[in-house]
Amino acid sequence: MKKNIFLVMIIAFLFQIALNAGEPGKIQNFTLKDYNGKEHSLYDYKNAKAIVIIFVATQCPVSNAYNQRMEKLYQDYRDKNTVFLGINSNKQESAEEVAEHAKKNNLNFTILKDPGNKIADRFNASVTPEVYVLNSNFEILYHGRIDDSRRGDNIQRQDARNALDEILAGKKVTVAQTKAFGCTIKRVD
Amino acid sequence: MKIKFFFLAALFVLPFVVFSAQTEKIKIEKIDKQKLSSLLKNRKGNALFINLWATWCIPCREEFPSIVKLVNDYKNKPVDFIGISIDYPDEIDSKIIPFLEKQNANFANFVNGFEKDEDLIKLLDENWNGALPATFTFDKTGKKISFLEGEQSYNSFKKEIKKVIKR
Repeated sequence: MKKNIFLVMIIAFLFQIALNAGEPGKIQNFTLKDYNGKEHSLYDYKNAKAIVIIFVATQCPVSNAYNQRMEKLYQDYRDKNTVFLGINSNKQESAEEVAEHAKKNNLNFTILKDPGNKIADRFNASVTPEVYVLNSNFEILYHGRIDDSRRGDNIQRQDARNALDEILAGKKVTVAQTKAFGCTIKRVD
Repeated sequence: MKIKFFFLAALFVLPFVVFSAQTEKIKIEKIDKQKLSSLLKNRKGNALFINLWATWCIPCREEFPSIVKLVNDYKNKPVDFIGISIDYPDEIDSKIIPFLEKQNANFANFVNGFEKDEDLIKLLDENWNGALPATFTFDKTGKKISFLEGEQSYNSFKKEIKKVIKR
C-alpha cells in the first residue's frame, strides 16, 4: 500500500514537471505600484495583443541612453493594442526619483517600482535596459535588448521592434533572444 | 675632471629619466574574438582572471581598487589578470586611460574590439545577459571555473583566485 502511494506521488511529480515544461516562460500575475502609487496587475492587460516590459534605471547611463528610443517605441505602438510597463527594481532608486526622472526625460509610459526586486527575480532580469515582450497569454516571446547600438549612432537591428511587429502580425518571433551590455540591477542584500 | 663631467651629465639626465618613468603611457589595444580566444586557450601554465568593466559603470569603478590590490598580492603567483573595458575605442584617450591612471592600474587592460557586443558576451558565458561588472576565472588549461556577476568584494575575488590557482 505504502509502495503504491509512493508510486502515485512520483507519477504526480513527473506530471507536474511535464505540465510546467509545456508552458515555457509564462509569467504569473503580479501587482506593483507605479510612481504615483497606482496599482497595476499584469493580468489587467489580458486583452492586449502584446505586453512590453522594460527593466529600467534612473542612474544607469546605458538605460538613460535609451530614454528617447524607449519613448519612441511606446509612442509608435501604444495605439496598436500594445501595453508598455517599465519596471524599476534598483534598490537605491526610490519611487520619487523614478517619477522625477520620468518627468525630466519625458517618459510617458507607466513605470512601476519593484520593491525588493521580487519581479526582477521572477523574470530573472539582471541588467538595465532589458526587454521582455509577452503575448496575451503572458508568455515571453522575446527577451533581450532594444536594439544593437548603445549610442544609437549605428543601429543595424531593432530587435524589440522586430519582435513586436512579428507578434502583432501573428507571426513567430524570428530572433527571440538577444544580449547587450548594460548596468547590473542593484538587488537587496 | 671626467668624474665631474659624468656627475654633471647625470644630474642633467636624471630628471628626464624620472619624468619619463612617471609618465609612462598606458597602452590600450582592442581585443577581438580571435585575440580573446587565443588568450583563453594559451594559458602557459597560468590561471586567468578577467574583469569586464566600463568607466560609466558605478559598481565597476567601486570594485576596481580591489583588483589593483589583488594584482599586487598575487604578483609572483601563477595567475594573469586582464581587464576589458566596454567603453568605445574612440574613448581610449578621453575616458579609459585617465580612469586607469587614477586607479594606478597595474595589469593589462583592453578595449572591446568585438564586431558585435553579443559575441563577446556569449564567448564568456551563454547565461550572461551583459550586466556589468562581470568577472570570470579560467584555470591553467583554459577551462572556465567561475562567473561572478555584479560588484564583488576583495575577499570574494580572492576566494575565486585561490580556487583557480590550486587546480
